[in-house]
Amino acid sequence: MQEQVREWLEQGKVDIFLGYKKIQGHPLPHCFTRDNLDETDDLIVGNARYSLEKMATKIATEHKELKIGLLVRDCNQRALNVLYVWNQLRPDNIETISVNCCPSKLKEHGDCSYLEPEKAAPLKMMIGIDNNMDVKAAEEFGQEDRYKRWMYELQKCLKCYGCRDICPVCFCKECSLEHTDLIATGSVPPEVPIFHLVRAVHMGGRCIDCGLCEDACPVDIPLRLLYRKVNDIVSDVFDYKTGTSVDQSPFNMLGEEVTLEPKPI
Amino acid sequence: MDFKIIPSVCSYCGTGCGVLFQVMDGRLVDTLPMKTHPVNEGKLCIKGWNLHEHVVSDKRLTSPMLKKNGHLQEASWDDAIQTAVEKLKAIIEAHGPDSVGVLASAKITNEENYLVQKFARAVIGTNNVDHCARL
Ligand code: SF4
Ligand code: SF4
Ligand code: SF4
Ligand code: SF4
Repeated sequence: MQEQVREWLEQGKVDIFLGYKKIQGHPLPHCFTRDNLDETDDLIVGNARYSLEKMATKIATEHKELKIGLLVRDCNQRALNVLYVWNQLRPDNIETISVNCCPSKLKEHGDCSYLEPEKAAPLKMMIGIDNNMDVKAAEEFGQEDRYKRWMYELQKCLKCYGCRDICPVCFCKECSLEHTDLIATGSVPPEVPIFHLVRAVHMGGRCIDCGLCEDACPVDIPLRLLYRKVNDIVSDVFDYKTGTSVDQSPFNMLGEEVTLEPKPI
Repeated sequence: MDFKIIPSVCSYCGTGCGVLFQVMDGRLVDTLPMKTHPVNEGKLCIKGWNLHEHVVSDKRLTSPMLKKNGHLQEASWDDAIQTAVEKLKAIIEAHGPDSVGVLASAKITNEENYLVQKFARAVIGTNNVDHCARL
């Protein structure tokens, strides 16, 4: 892997390579360049995931022609696919080196240990939603109980916007979550459940189930589960599996006519 | 093209969350939580997430300001310190050292905070030392 990155940089296949390096004892994202080739010896996979593709998107908006290489786990690759679909990155300018990944519904077996689910505390099991549940189990609560449990989770929100800020596929210049006509300002928690449902709706056909949002949520709201439900609907209605290909998403078709047939439910 | 990730510590409050600054072409463009930091384990509050903004803000003070004729004006450090010394001296002479209070800050280091209280106690002569979080 290190050899390959060195070669890529030397030969000009990529101008920069985003990977990881141990700095002050922490595995941190790092940008490897041609000016510092020996540094490629320090390239590691690292057990802490960051959204390297979000960094690539940021770099590409200012340096359009730059050839960017990056280390990808499965989730990074799925996010890249979505970023290609939504024209945030150009596939011609991206080169990837694949490494092992963490478990996800879209890929059952993986071995990135950092996302090993933590066991939910007894109170959360009793009145909230266990983050490790699957959609089916979460739907088994009676309607009233389910509503109470979700509201318990959502009212913990600190409105830190971490879920959006860390998300590889949240790239809008103006974000609805900050639109004062949609979501009232001035109080914490923000308007629940609207705040979370607005974001959930936007994640239809976009969320690639990387779990970074849930990881960044200081109050442990089961966000990933919420977006899984949304994408189950997308999959049922449009037969579209977000992130698994670079095929057009049913949500970014422009024009007068609907060309995509909804699947009969 | 130059892109760096710089580990640091959030300076907004005393919690001390680990952050990563993203620096593009010498400009601080974004902040991320450090996932492996023992304090925050990859989480931040809204202040931490926007840490880069107060560094690059247009409103950031880049020189001392002195009020002249009712308006704040840029001044040199020498002038600013001289003015502060004169005013503090006059106040202490007229009303005693306990008429002065000193507010320490979470945005400065432990050592600087030590100096702040030393300044209050040994130079001014008061125990009126408190923290900006109790303003
Ligand atoms: S939450 Fe919605 S509007 Fe905001 S950045 Fe994400 S997709 Fe865009
Ligand atoms: S899991 Fe969360 S962070 Fe990852 S793509 Fe979906 S919404 Fe974004
Ligand atoms: S990360 Fe959690 S606490 Fe922060 S805004 Fe999102 S849901 Fe709310
Ligand atoms: S991120 Fe928030 S809690 Fe953490 S040190 Fe900064 S201000 Fe304090």
